[in-house]
Amino acid sequence: MKTITIILTDGPYISEYGEIGCKIASQALRMSHVNIFLYLDAVHMAHRGHKPSLFAEVGRLLSDLAERGAEVRACARCSAARGYLAGEDGICPDFYQGIKITSLYDLAGMIEESDRVIALSG
Amino acid sequence: MRSKKSVFYLLDSAPYGCEKAYGILNAAAVCIKMDVTVGLYADGVYLALAGQDSRPLAVPSLSDLIYAYPEVRILAHEPSLAERSLMSRALIEWVELADDTDFMTQIRAADCMIAL
Repeated sequence: MKTITIILTDGPYISEYGEIGCKIASQALRMSHVNIFLYLDAVHMAHRGHKPSLFAEVGRLLSDLAERGAEVRACARCSAARGYLAGEDGICPDFYQGIKITSLYDLAGMIEESDRVIALSG
Repeated sequence: MRSKKSVFYLLDSAPYGCEKAYGILNAAAVCIKMDVTVGLYADGVYLALAGQDSRPLAVPSLSDLIYAYPEVRILAHEPSLAERSLMSRALIEWVELADDTDFMTQIRAADCMIAL
């Protein structure tokens, strides 16, 4: 099975990259293993409680993808810098279920194991 | 034996005032088991300048980060330096210069290109 990694860096509403990334991931999951790494401002996508009226709720989409088997991870440094802290299990109470905070070294591992890497960044 | 994977990170924004350069250097630093290159293009070439003093900004010096990870190859797009009148300025010692063709060749040769 091929592996695809999607890297997101924008905040949830400055662009549609989050939603686009989720659509790509949703299709890719039918035939591939999918990793999604939230980097820089993209860690805000994982934050629960957003109720956007004009935009997709990307955190919920990411959580759904995680439930379908995607590995959805958020950078620990970027998260901590923005006030999101995780326990030892990587679970952050502020985040949607299935999205874990992890070391940036996991991004390197994802890149190394991937057949395709897609960075969506404004 | 399979050769090491190569990763090309592309930076086209200035090093300070935005987290992208810091983010790219950190992402490159964790990839040093692979062949990793940071390509500086457009305003990204300001990151190549020697003697960066970021203390007035109260943020880490990104040139220190470059010095800390000599395994990360730094490639600066020469036309971008020239367009910004930076060709006479001192650059970090191991920054390599590349013209348009060389720069694009390096991107095409990489297993993956990541623009943040």
